[in-house]
Amino acid sequence: MNPEPKIIAFCCNWCSYAAADLAGISRLQYPGSVRIIRVMCSGMVHPEMVLHALDKGADGVMIVGCHLGECHYIKGNELALARAEVLTDTMEDLGFESERFQITWVSSSEPERLAEAFRGMSARLASLRRAERNQAAAGE
Amino acid sequence: MSGSVRPRLSCEWLHACSGCEIALLNCGERLLALLERVEIVHFPLLMDHKYSDRGDAAEIALPEAEIGLVSGGVASEEHLAVLRAMRRQCRTLVALGTCATHGGIPALRNQWPVDQAMGTVFSGVGGNNTYPVEVPAPLDRVYSIDEQVTVDLCVPGCPPRPETIVAVIEALLAGEKPPLPNKSVCETCPTVRAGKGQRTVHRFLANADYDPRAPVAEMRCLLEQGLLCMGPVTAGGCGGPDAPLCIRARVPCRGCYGPVRPGGNPLLDMLNGLASNGIDHRTIVDRRSLLRFSGAHGLLKPLGRRG
Repeated sequence: MNPEPKIIAFCCNWCSYAAADLAGISRLQYPGSVRIIRVMCSGMVHPEMVLHALDKGADGVMIVGCHLGECHYIKGNELALARAEVLTDTMEDLGFESERFQITWVSSSEPERLAEAFRGMSARLASLRRAERNQAAAGE
Repeated sequence: MSGSVRPRLSCEWLHACSGCEIALLNCGERLLALLERVEIVHFPLLMDHKYSDRGDAAEIALPEAEIGLVSGGVASEEHLAVLRAMRRQCRTLVALGTCATHGGIPALRNQWPVDQAMGTVFSGVGGNNTYPVEVPAPLDRVYSIDEQVTVDLCVPGCPPRPETIVAVIEALLAGEKPPLPNKSVCETCPTVRAGKGQRTVHRFLANADYDPRAPVAEMRCLLEQGLLCMGPVTAGGCGGPDAPLCIRARVPCRGCYGPVRPGGNPLLDMLNGLASNGIDHRTIVDRRSLLRFSGAHGLLKPLGRRG
């Protein structure tokens, strides 16, 4: 198994994808197992896309959008937030740990914040995996 | 016309209540015309038929048929064996009813591990459980039949509308594409939508506000009234050309036709729809029950190991 948890990150075109771009230019370090998918707005990420990613084997999914009040489409990220609350609740109902999903706000001038969010998510998923492995070992 | 040249129809039920078969028989005079056109070779509700000549049920013998209708989900080894036999013997296999297409009510069992479910139902007294013996072993969960075998056509509904079942069989006989409704309940619902409604969802105890003398078309949309109506995420067609059945009875849709899109998740889609419209989804009591008809396909699972 790949030691690094695989993370799918939906980044909005206007803030967080630009931040990821800047993070690259600034040579900031974050785990290489993060797969960024550019979307026009965080509000367009249907919860089903997140569950689909988890079903297909992603360890975690992140939605990264503009700060609240700074959405390019005025209210897209508020919609994303409402959907994220639904998703967090529903994931537990459907048998996924809610830690596997995170929504974060990053403006285009905050690459360090984005890299930090990626690192934090990766660490969280790694500890989740460790806990699972310990539990499996204890169950045997 | 001699019996042997008519197309053969074979019906089988698995983890089901026989409601789908009753719906087929309930289609009125069209049934008589249908019986003229097909030869029923196997139909446990109507006629006695042995599954095995040897009586040991090791090899299930079913007659060949052009059209096979299967209702009910797959919950035990026996269901699985019968279903596979049906698939072998039927040229066109139709999943009839929501249990067959999405798991239906029996798939509510999928919320618990099978030993916990059995232990609850057959708990017995004094530590001696009353597990039934000499019955087929239960599978790890309840499956829809398209999870186990290839299905040519899915006709959801609890039960499907009698006219729809007959129309499907007639279309198959004619070699045409069966006319299946592909719209949501909301698209077939005549109630008045004003755009904005309640921000919270009432408990199921609340009744709709309507004038019993006025037609359904003058009633306010139940979702806008704050009742949890699953119309937006549920496949329509229950009422035919008229208003959906539950709406006609002035109660909210419970989602018995399963998701609108194949592979849809009614729980997630419904909550997403509520959240997108500014309705607080946390006011729903027991939201997992939104999967009450669609628990197969792995949608209902035992809660996480941490729980």
